[in-house]
Amino acid sequence: MSHHIAEMKAAHRLLAEFTYEKYPVQRGYTNRTLYINLSDNTIASKPVSEEMKEKFTGGKGFGLWLLWHGIRDTTKWNDPENEIIISTGPIGGITTYPGTGKSLVVSLSPLTDSVMDSNVGGYFGPYLKFAGWDAIEIQGKAEKDVIIFIDGDTGRITIEEAPLEPVDTHLLTDILVQMYGGDDHHARRAISTVTAGSGAQHTRFGCLNFSWYDLRRRAARVKQAGRGGIGTVFRDKRIKALVVKFSDLKADSNGPADLGRLQRVGAKMHKEIHDYDDQQCGMRRHGTSYLVGIMNDYDLLPVHNFRYGSHPDGHKIDVKVWDARFTQGVPDGCWYGCTLSCSHAVDGFVLRTGPYKGQKVIVDGPEYENAAGLGANCGIFDPDYIIEANFYCDTYALDTISVGTAMAFAMECYEMGLIDKRATGGLDFRFGNAEAAIEAIHQMGRGEGFGAIIGQGVRRMKKIFAEQYGADPKILQDIGMEAKGLEFSEYMPKESLAQQGGYGLASKGPQHDEAWLIFMDMVNNQIPTMEDKAEALHYFPIWRTWFGLCGLCKLPWNDIVPPDNALTDEPAKIPEHVRNYVEIFSAVTGRQVTSEDLLLMSERVYNFQRVFNLRMGFGTREHDKIPYRAQGPVTVEEYESRAERYDKQLKALGYDVEKMSTPEKVAALRAHRESQYEKLVDAVYARRGWTKNGVPKVETLQRLGIDYPDVVEIVRRAGG
Amino acid sequence: MSPSAGQEPAVVRVNDNLEVPWSPGMTVRDLLRQCRFTYSLITVTVNGQVIRREEYDTYPIPPGAEVRVIHLIAGG
Amino acid sequence: MKILATRPERCTGCGACEIECARTWFKVDDKEKSRIRIFPPAKEGQPFRIVVCNQNGACIDVCPTVALKRAKNGVVQLNKSLCVGCLSCVGFCPNQAMFYHPDYTEPFKCVACGKCVDVCPEGALYIAEVADAPASVTDTWLQKEAV
Repeated sequence: MSHHIAEMKAAHRLLAEFTYEKYPVQRGYTNRTLYINLSDNTIASKPVSEEMKEKFTGGKGFGLWLLWHGIRDTTKWNDPENEIIISTGPIGGITTYPGTGKSLVVSLSPLTDSVMDSNVGGYFGPYLKFAGWDAIEIQGKAEKDVIIFIDGDTGRITIEEAPLEPVDTHLLTDILVQMYGGDDHHARRAISTVTAGSGAQHTRFGCLNFSWYDLRRRAARVKQAGRGGIGTVFRDKRIKALVVKFSDLKADSNGPADLGRLQRVGAKMHKEIHDYDDQQCGMRRHGTSYLVGIMNDYDLLPVHNFRYGSHPDGHKIDVKVWDARFTQGVPDGCWYGCTLSCSHAVDGFVLRTGPYKGQKVIVDGPEYENAAGLGANCGIFDPDYIIEANFYCDTYALDTISVGTAMAFAMECYEMGLIDKRATGGLDFRFGNAEAAIEAIHQMGRGEGFGAIIGQGVRRMKKIFAEQYGADPKILQDIGMEAKGLEFSEYMPKESLAQQGGYGLASKGPQHDEAWLIFMDMVNNQIPTMEDKAEALHYFPIWRTWFGLCGLCKLPWNDIVPPDNALTDEPAKIPEHVRNYVEIFSAVTGRQVTSEDLLLMSERVYNFQRVFNLRMGFGTREHDKIPYRAQGPVTVEEYESRAERYDKQLKALGYDVEKMSTPEKVAALRAHRESQYEKLVDAVYARRGWTKNGVPKVETLQRLGIDYPDVVEIVRRAGG
Repeated sequence: MSPSAGQEPAVVRVNDNLEVPWSPGMTVRDLLRQCRFTYSLITVTVNGQVIRREEYDTYPIPPGAEVRVIHLIAGG
Repeated sequence: MKILATRPERCTGCGACEIECARTWFKVDDKEKSRIRIFPPAKEGQPFRIVVCNQNGACIDVCPTVALKRAKNGVVQLNKSLCVGCLSCVGFCPNQAMFYHPDYTEPFKCVACGKCVDVCPEGALYIAEVADAPASVTDTWLQKEAV
């Protein structure tokens, strides 16, 4: 350990200590969760009941259940009562199959003021389980910055005041793997950390960084629990870091009922990736960055705050660039055994701006969202800017999706003259101005200037711009790409009614983890009727929720497909991979399940989350509204950029387009699309067993077995 | 005045929502180009028959054909 | 480097090598625990297929824990204490010559010990000295200074 790290360690003050008996994980569960209260330094063990496992499975399910019981209806995100819960799930931590190390983080969000969930790779959740805990539940607030250390090798947990370590992730993670791991790199890979950064302290969209260890680079790397601002809650609780240590990982650490079945399905899947990834998505070469060019070609890349779907400079941030910038040939899986290996890095990047200017760093990314959000959506097609912005967002702990969408909104407001340099503090905040954009990110890190205002998020910026600068609230509402208070992720829903539903009806806000239907809907035209769309918006969010109950990454489900997939009955569901997951769940838990059982697990948690939103004062139809920019052309320029397509649609509706002015056509199309959205919402609610106001019906709760008295009371009050 | 048969320009219907003008000798590859379908993970059927990737450059599309170009793309 | 080399045209599929290997390394007569596998001919008239590691080293670069390393004699060895049993190597072996069994959390491969050579009645197996394989990407990384 270096001298300066030893100094930091020596400055730690022990606030609380807890020792516990270690015993092996049984069929994916430890059957206890760890409770920590930072206001009074309580550390306690809570049992996991059979009912909790049956109804909530794990991961996000456990997080929601624990939060439900931990808070009151009136709890706010920054009350000590708010909790941060991290849990992997029964499958999390197996090694034989790709994408099996995810953690799910649950809390109340500073952006939405409601329940938020966020998923993340890295080693923390699985190591936490093998250390002895199905989940960690943190409540209260510390007086001064603390580190919580869970030593899974010895069975000891400490809360330590930690005054000297820097908060920014790229420095802190490196320090902690040395401080708690030592000098040997295999000892360092036994450590995983959760950290935030200075940006999380000064914005509402702080993220959390979860570490894993790269033995070839001999450096810690990070994945993000990005959405919803849980990093902001973390720093509000004065948590500097969570650290877990677990040294003896094996293929059966998860206590599976049948290791042989896990080995067979895993070996088959690794071979499938070996044989086909190169010809399919090329995840092992460039991760999700290949989507930039495709979205650009299909007019689906968000450009200039989701105004347009493509840009002539799109090729400057396309996959060929990333193939060359990412170092190739290293296993980049963020959990052991992930051969899909999507997390690529740019090595030896010299930072050109900010407090770390001149440092040579490893940059984790960019993936698609970063290139699309920080880049295209802001009109910046410079790969070096995107890499640098990606780095600083990671180390400052800022959600790159919220940063991209919020900055794009601010840029459009500036370009439209809704705000000016008085608001931006002198920054010439036009689309394409990379210098202004990176400065705004540094301001988020420092908590000052226009960056700090952007850091309030789109919903609050709309209010600020209207109240302080006289901007027209109707235009702001139309172009501000947020719903439920969360910024939209980086896909253009404008021409896909199904994706509008996918975003608008998602529980946490417009994140695409629930449904990504754009191609199925718009390009393939596989869900033409309202009923088809409603069925897709029932099935896919439910199916995809399942990954978050179990500790799984969804990429191996459909970002790689078996060669005969196109010939199956329902290729979009990837039936062979669904069978793999049935096999894995059965092999881990010893319960022989079917794919219907998996859907039932999810549907329970999905509906519970909807009721949780209701409990916090949201969760009804009005909160499922989306801004018109997500549905159609707001402005004349937007209409004219796709005039042929829009004119054709209006003609099909019986309009005489030759006789109409563009503003008249904009209005006619808008009326049509807004009414289509309402019809879709009706169809989806009916399919999900909810009322016309979006409230789960009591008989739905009964069918799912979550008709607990307090849950029923909330839906009855809301007319369910 | 009713149009007589053979005077309407021939079209190819793609994914039941796109009409593309047909031209003699049009191959699958020509059609993909015209639709600007640049994505590679696709399955193509012409009048219900699956066309193999190796045949895209040669398989001729008949006028009035119903073509499906299914993109298998998963998103982030 | 040293490898176990094959003359498949001489193989009669008797399986003596499989039993000897499993006996040597796992103390059981169970060909599912052998590091050399014999499969029937793919088509009539073709030889038996002998599947065994030829030390090409492709597995070295896919292992998340750097548990696979080339020894001085060229044989790629698995360090079981570092192995987390993910079987990435099994999926990525170009010859499908990394094997696994549910009785063990770690996979296993041929290390050119030569015991099978001794029992093969047809001389279908032999130890050969071949040109060294090129350095792995992993080696290149580990020779650099840590970042």
